[in-house]
Amino acid sequence: MTITKHLRAVVLILAPLGVFGQKGLDPSALLEPPIDTWPTYHGDYSGRHYSPLKQIHSANVKNMSLAWIYRSNFGSAGAIVGGEGADEYVGGSIKAIPLMVNGVLYFSTPDNAFAVDARTGREIWHYFWKTKGGIHIGNRGMGMYGNWLFFETPDNYLVSLDATTGKERWHKLIADVKQEYFSTPAPLIIRNHVIVGMGGDSLDVPAWLESRDPETGEIQWKWNVTPRPGEPGSETWPDAYSMEHGGGMPWQPPTYDPDLNLLYVPTGNPNPVMAGQSRNGDNLWTASIVALNPDTGKMVWYFQCSPHDTHDWDATQVPILFNGVMNGRQRKLLAQVSRNGFFFVLDRTNGQNLLSKPYLESANWYKGIDAKGQPIRDPEKDPQVAGILVSPGSSGATNWQAPSFNPDTGLIYVGTSQSYAMFYLTDTDAHPQGYGAAERGAGNAGNFLRAIDYKTGNLVWKRATTVGAQGLLSTAGNLLFGSDGAGNFIAFDPKNGKPLWHASLPMNPSNAPQTYMLDGRQYVVVGAGDSLYSFYLQQ
Amino acid sequence: MRYTRVVLVIAAFTLSLAARALGQRGAGPQAPVFEPAAVERGKNTFFVNCGFCHGANARGGDGGPDLIRSVLVVDDEKGKELGDFLKLGRPDKGMPSFAKLVPEQISDIATFLHSEIYLASNRRTYEIGDILVGDANAGEVFFNGAGKCRSCHSATGDLKGIGTKYDPVTLQGRIVMPRGQRGGEDGGRSGTPEPQGAVSTVTVTFPSGQSYSGALVRVTDFDVTLRDSSGGIRSFTRNGDSPKVEIKDPLQAHIDMLSKYKDADIHNLTAYLVTLK
Repeated sequence: MTITKHLRAVVLILAPLGVFGQKGLDPSALLEPPIDTWPTYHGDYSGRHYSPLKQIHSANVKNMSLAWIYRSNFGSAGAIVGGEGADEYVGGSIKAIPLMVNGVLYFSTPDNAFAVDARTGREIWHYFWKTKGGIHIGNRGMGMYGNWLFFETPDNYLVSLDATTGKERWHKLIADVKQEYFSTPAPLIIRNHVIVGMGGDSLDVPAWLESRDPETGEIQWKWNVTPRPGEPGSETWPDAYSMEHGGGMPWQPPTYDPDLNLLYVPTGNPNPVMAGQSRNGDNLWTASIVALNPDTGKMVWYFQCSPHDTHDWDATQVPILFNGVMNGRQRKLLAQVSRNGFFFVLDRTNGQNLLSKPYLESANWYKGIDAKGQPIRDPEKDPQVAGILVSPGSSGATNWQAPSFNPDTGLIYVGTSQSYAMFYLTDTDAHPQGYGAAERGAGNAGNFLRAIDYKTGNLVWKRATTVGAQGLLSTAGNLLFGSDGAGNFIAFDPKNGKPLWHASLPMNPSNAPQTYMLDGRQYVVVGAGDSLYSFYLQQ
Repeated sequence: MRYTRVVLVIAAFTLSLAARALGQRGAGPQAPVFEPAAVERGKNTFFVNCGFCHGANARGGDGGPDLIRSVLVVDDEKGKELGDFLKLGRPDKGMPSFAKLVPEQISDIATFLHSEIYLASNRRTYEIGDILVGDANAGEVFFNGAGKCRSCHSATGDLKGIGTKYDPVTLQGRIVMPRGQRGGEDGGRSGTPEPQGAVSTVTVTFPSGQSYSGALVRVTDFDVTLRDSSGGIRSFTRNGDSPKVEIKDPLQAHIDMLSKYKDADIHNLTAYLVTLK
């Protein structure tokens, strides 16, 4: 009996007892491919952004048309109001991927949470959070446990709402906004764990990932991204002070393998961000992929994507989980299209590197790949007072937006940018602070939607876009949903990138679409600016 | 340095006013306001009383910790927590009481420390240093040779006086990003405007032979829009290769050079261009 089966048995026994919040999301839905639900940010635990749905397929997608539009109203008007602060921030765009559970969509933006009828696009409730401040750059959405919803705020609270009413159950402080922490991730639910991360690069503060109890909000465990003196990994820092201020924010929603019971966490860049002179060494476990036990927070293995990063290239891209043949053997794999321009494939049982290959032709900052499969950085491309030209720029070859793995084609789809930037070291102090360098954008040798063969890392096709990183979704209907950066929402043929359908929206999609079956019809929903757009086949 | 910081504080103040005028719509949190005179007074009071242990720049010194990263200082509200702390000091760690400081002095020190924290944590305030490290003669050789600059530009023609028109950092930006500095950490909001002659042109030709030309406004796989010589907009839908769309980017040579530059080429070219008065 596998762990998954054990889990299902536990779920079946406990669900009728009401321990999962009476109703709402059956946690076993998180163990299944997303069909009549989209129960978590990534759609399922694997981070593939792949749906087995195929009612809409490559031959009939030309008949896909608008089902409804929902335009959200950011702000306190008409909303249930909570929060610890006095300020009302109004703005932002929908960078969440909405959950869909029992016919209701749930999503959040900075300081706002919404429930919307998945059939009609009508608002059911709106919750608004009055803020103490913080960087309001984005919010990736919500996590759901039974009938309880969870989201994070820019001033670093974990807020839990009742999914039926939108009323607040409680809120808990995660981190101090005055220390420049801000929180964007969508919490991930694993059994009775709410996995919570945070961000914040500006003041050299420590990073951690934590697990909280979904009923009480109390902390179950914390995993520190940087080691403490004497711990393994501390040999990759010069001193205790640099570790304590070493950053590494885990701000991407992680992925999870229920059979291995491993949580895959991609971590952020080290601090100070671009001035590395006070943190000589590899700076573990920043800019890494780490596997944790979700019940204890203990690390099982790690792989570092950018040892001693000096360009703000956090490795917080989605760790995509799938099984496939590598080096002649069927394996449990983890792939990441990383911000530094490298494509990595690991054995996710033990972290062994199977493939490291640059996918960005313009990347000019590395000298080679070491025996562990990690890129060897070229110190001459570290920021300098007089300026150096580096590709990609700090926003990366790709970024946080969800790529997609399609098991039918064996291809990973990702939005990429051949950006360049000048990096100027501005803080030459032996103990620099914050970013420690200024960046000025340079030209761009081209943005492309790329299809990468996971077995080789080779490019199979690419298509020019006006946006770099973008959210993507592929389906068993032989379709890849994405955009061109110019406001067109597009269904591509995943085999060759040919557009099969498109709709011009007022804003470009701001993250990956999701899809679900409801009353026998397949809907495709995408957020763009302040609105959700829903499409289906006309009957 | 001192002057620049005062200017930055004034800039931060202006930004905060702008944010308020916008009702914070899309603006994020307000930029803090630091009264320049208070910062200056606080800096001097800090230097005299605290600098010996914490360093003149408050980043730590002989025995005293870095106060820019101090949670107590970061969390302080207008000197209140700091004042309470200074009354007692931390005798167990060798820090004496500073009860002798009057409330105005504590307020000034707090303003100074909070402005230093703001300047450390807000990268838009960072000052780029001296970037003129290149060899102007080598830059001239590159300009006339491998850089192929001379195929479009002339040191005595369009670039005459360029060294006085732009500061060195902006000038360097024009070399690597002639469209104005988009991208980077602020998404180009502080970027330089599009220079004349930098706009791409497009020609749209139908199977009948009829064609339209103008400045490129927008192109996707499904549509193309241009502005013609009358100033009007014309848009066309696209279906695969029909109509034929040909785009000419006058700045393509700058993009092509990005993968060819050595950093020394950029430094030398900048050093040369600043000599064009």
